[in-house]
Amino acid sequence: MELAAEQKVPIRLSTRDPSIQIAEETGVLLVQTSLNRLKLSALVNDLLHKDERRIPFDILINGKFLRATIDEFLTQNGISPETTLDVEYTRALVPPLNVRSF
Amino acid sequence: LTHLDPSTPISPEDARALWLSHEAATHSLSQQLTEHLRLILAPTLATKLRGDFRTGKRLNLKRIIPYIASGYKRDKIWLRRSQPSKRSYQVMIALDDSKSMSESGASNLALKTLTLVTRSLAMLEVGEVAVVGFGDEVNVAHEFDKPFTSEAGVRVFEQFGFEASKTDVRGLVERSLDLFAEARRKGSSAAGEDLWQLMLIVSDGICDSHAEIQRLVRRAQEERVMIVFIIIDSSGPPSAQPAPSMHPATAAEGPVAPQKEKEKQKTSILDLQSVEISPEGKVVRWKYMERFPFRYYLVVRDVRELPGVLAGALRQWFGEVAGSA
Ligand SMILES: [Mg+2]
Repeated sequence: MELAAEQKVPIRLSTRDPSIQIAEETGVLLVQTSLNRLKLSALVNDLLHKDERRIPFDILINGKFLRATIDEFLTQNGISPETTLDVEYTRALVPPLNVRSF
Repeated sequence: LTHLDPSTPISPEDARALWLSHEAATHSLSQQLTEHLRLILAPTLATKLRGDFRTGKRLNLKRIIPYIASGYKRDKIWLRRSQPSKRSYQVMIALDDSKSMSESGASNLALKTLTLVTRSLAMLEVGEVAVVGFGDEVNVAHEFDKPFTSEAGVRVFEQFGFEASKTDVRGLVERSLDLFAEARRKGSSAAGEDLWQLMLIVSDGICDSHAEIQRLVRRAQEERVMIVFIIIDSSGPPSAQPAPSMHPATAAEGPVAPQKEKEKQKTSILDLQSVEISPEGKVVRWKYMERFPFRYYLVVRDVRELPGVLAGALRQWFGEVAGSA
């Protein structure tokens, strides 16, 4: 069953780091607005087929670091979920403390 | 476009200019669609012989023995060719007024589609036409009981700005079913006429709450409201694309558009992927259109395709529903 009234937003993933480019042409993806950095990091790892050695990623939306959920980010920055978001991922500079939650 | 009056999304002058230009640009296409629809929507001429009449063309053999047995009293023993009851239609066009329409560049093609369909229905004179806009809420832009003139078209255009911050398709379908029920009650169609209700949704097709929408689509079917979803796919170059697809016929994903350059290219709705990530971080991906909640949908990239594909969808529906009735 689909979760009730779950909102989705279109995103386009990119990175400036050639070593972590996604091979597949994913285009625009529709993702839940409830996702946070960890979930988006999990998505990028999945697209990179990193089943074992997962890389922790930092996530930037429109150039700003994502600290909460996408939903909260949109509200704080006055962005409508009707807009396709540019989502950039980079290797996390400082490994987060809760890596084990992957 | 200038925004002089903040109460309307576009100025009346701009709305008029836009309507007139779309009307002129789609004129011959409207005539084409009208011709298609005339054949599909008009009831087929009566060819069946029906009983039971006191006079007629041919004897109904099943009635002969009861006729004799009744002492020649039950004398409705003749068959006649009867005229089918006249059909009338209430057609609602629901136009997506959400921001994704303007962001993806679908809004102009959507307005052209609206012009084409409303002009064509007005030429046909088969019934009533309503237009609603939807986004975070539903706005009735033109009511069923008013004639859809060119002037009405201008008024409708004034009410679309493609700025709504949500695309509540679930809310749209729910509200429309209420509007249809009300219109059926009020119906200006004469008694004895056969009333058919049809809804055309014109949108980029991106929406949430698919499970709830599916339930409402089933309710629409029970209430004999037909819904055709016209997806405006503004990705890729128009015209040079394969023919649009009609579900459930072969989805014309066709030759996949060559991946040219890596710059910001638009993703066609046929390639769009939906992602769901569970609380444990498990990732599931699928093609968005594989779980699209509407049964009858068309993907249109160019307004020139519309007369043909829309007629095709309606013909299929009549084949399934009207044919069995
Ligand atoms: Mg939208």
